[in-house]
Amino acid sequence: MKVSALAQAGYRNLPDDFERHFDAGVTTPWHLTEPGEVHAAFRDYLDCLMLAARLGFDGVGFTEHGQSSYDMVANPSLVGAALAYATEAENLKVAINPVGRSLGKAREPVRVAEEYAMIDCISGGRLIAGFPVGLLYDASINNGVPPIEVRARFDENLPLVLKAWRDQTPFAWNGKFAQHPCVNIWPRPLQQPSPPVWITGIGNPTTFQLALKNNFGFNYFGWFGAKLTGPRIFERFWETAFRLNVPQNPYRMGFMQTVCVAETDSQAERKFARHIEYFFNKGIGAVPLEKLAIPGGISLPGIQFILRDHAGDFGFYAKMRTAKFAEIVDAGAVVCGSPETVTEQLIEIARTNRIGNLMVMLKVGSMTRDLTEENVTLFAQKVLPKLRNVWANEPWEHHWWPSRLGGRPAATATELTATGGVQ
Amino acid sequence: MTAVSAEIRERSVDVWNGTVKLRFKIAGSAGAPLIYFHPAAGLFFDPFLSALAVDHTVYAPEHPGTSAGDPDAIHKVDSIWDLVLLYEEAIRRLDLPAAPVAIGQSFGGMMAAELAAHFPSLFKSLILLNPLGLWREDLPITNWMTTPPTALPALLFRDAQHPAAKAMFTPPKDPEEALSRTAHMIWTFGCTGKFVWPIPERGLHKRLHRISTPTLIVWGADDGLVPAGYAKEFGQAITTSRIEIIPNCGHIPQAEQGDTTMRLVRDFLGSSDADLDRPREVSR
Repeated sequence: MKVSALAQAGYRNLPDDFERHFDAGVTTPWHLTEPGEVHAAFRDYLDCLMLAARLGFDGVGFTEHGQSSYDMVANPSLVGAALAYATEAENLKVAINPVGRSLGKAREPVRVAEEYAMIDCISGGRLIAGFPVGLLYDASINNGVPPIEVRARFDENLPLVLKAWRDQTPFAWNGKFAQHPCVNIWPRPLQQPSPPVWITGIGNPTTFQLALKNNFGFNYFGWFGAKLTGPRIFERFWETAFRLNVPQNPYRMGFMQTVCVAETDSQAERKFARHIEYFFNKGIGAVPLEKLAIPGGISLPGIQFILRDHAGDFGFYAKMRTAKFAEIVDAGAVVCGSPETVTEQLIEIARTNRIGNLMVMLKVGSMTRDLTEENVTLFAQKVLPKLRNVWANEPWEHHWWPSRLGGRPAATATELTATGGVQ
Repeated sequence: MTAVSAEIRERSVDVWNGTVKLRFKIAGSAGAPLIYFHPAAGLFFDPFLSALAVDHTVYAPEHPGTSAGDPDAIHKVDSIWDLVLLYEEAIRRLDLPAAPVAIGQSFGGMMAAELAAHFPSLFKSLILLNPLGLWREDLPITNWMTTPPTALPALLFRDAQHPAAKAMFTPPKDPEEALSRTAHMIWTFGCTGKFVWPIPERGLHKRLHRISTPTLIVWGADDGLVPAGYAKEFGQAITTSRIEIIPNCGHIPQAEQGDTTMRLVRDFLGSSDADLDRPREVSR
């Protein structure tokens, strides 16, 4: 199994009663911040990912969130560029994985293609190209895209990016959302025809089909409580794969889990509980439903599915803003404990759900630089080595990993199929 | 307003080169044609429309994507320009015996105004009830699409306890029907939102001067969604208009002050024939 470290640049010094007065996205008052703390948040964030790269993680991952206090990364390409160079300079063979630029949000998809191509060139072919559809509050409120157009933009932008990377001759693009008289980006990515493409989603069957039919990896984040949502989502994915006659290769599946590890279970709770609560209470839990699920962003059948299913795909989201440590752990939103506890649980999750790529978020909420280092280091020493061989006894090849890092990318579809169309 | 239930018929009109079937709900048969453009939440055949159907034939189109069984029609229409042309085409295909009266509420008011600005001779007269379509930084319009459902009654009504508010926001008893109605309303907000997101202004301020139709602008004085200050903006831009501000009234005057609204509408419709060619002054 490939194991990567994911981090976010959250602001760590919000007031104790923040979540009672403010939302964590869109309207969050900037005056709550202090310049030194903002600087430190970015420094510790990048240092955390560099530490993970030095300690032997297979990849480093990072996300995009505009106008958000829990992740001040407005453009993950900037982070990717910094990490690509720094890891190259230290000769660290680690995948650079922006989980991604949202193509439902992007109004300049060719620029996204260019930025990712640059990261691939700077890193010498170590880019894993993540493209989420995007969070509605970010795409629609922060970037003004009508909610009903978010998916449609994603569906147009992704083939444009892939074509811009792949085509050797200039082409004109006459899209609904973007028109270009001549697309001929410099540079093209080193990985041809394309770096491995990963789609992060929340379980929409249309997104599953897109990933499976086009040979993209699919990535799922466990913040809604993986014990509650994971079995539903993963089972739905593999069922879809079965129906489409796609091999059940675990390496096409990625999962992001928040992990805190200390010498013993009780030490782990003592050290991390308040930081974990900070993350969920003041982070995604403080983004209200009406900003995450804006009308138009979900198709009519999708709305009916969600209403009928009592929001099962959203796990314990409704309780997140006030959830305490025990509730967060019970939901499976965090795996926390001794190296043995954590290892056992992660192997169980991976095996049960056929996950071949695990991403662990080890820098959580208000964690200090020192505590983050402890968490990353202990995980790298005591947990990571035991996860590597989860799929060693099965004859699968990893087609969704850069070849420079040992992957064996399969030929991608020459033309994108089943791009979801109408959500 | 006395609740009179009218018999409602349906007619679908092929438009947009046959790719969209625009569905009209039709009530009344004897009177002159009247087209009603529904608000962002969709078409509900309420007592106001039933009352209008007494002396008019009311044609109420359903915004593309909001007709039962045809949610994907919205993806055929990309811009306000598309939408205006599509509606004009549909109205032409109705083959009405005379130029219709147009009434539009909120989002529907914006649509009616857009059509009247694009096609100045399309309507005989125009009634705008708290229309969207303009934007002033000092008169912020609340984003209803990101408003929690529990806050909608207070946003739309001056008196959230008004019987019309209760009728509008009390879900049906049957759970399946309630689910279906909630899902439909969310999707309808998405479909109409395509043409007003993120700012409900698509250049109408540049086009309003083209409207030469006798126009009545009605506004609830206490509109919490689109402030009544916009009445003057519309009134000044449409030189053939008259403004009526209804006190103790929010965003949906035909529901919250139904009798007053109906009286204003009837008075206007009764007099507008004679005054068709004479520009009106803004009265308020």
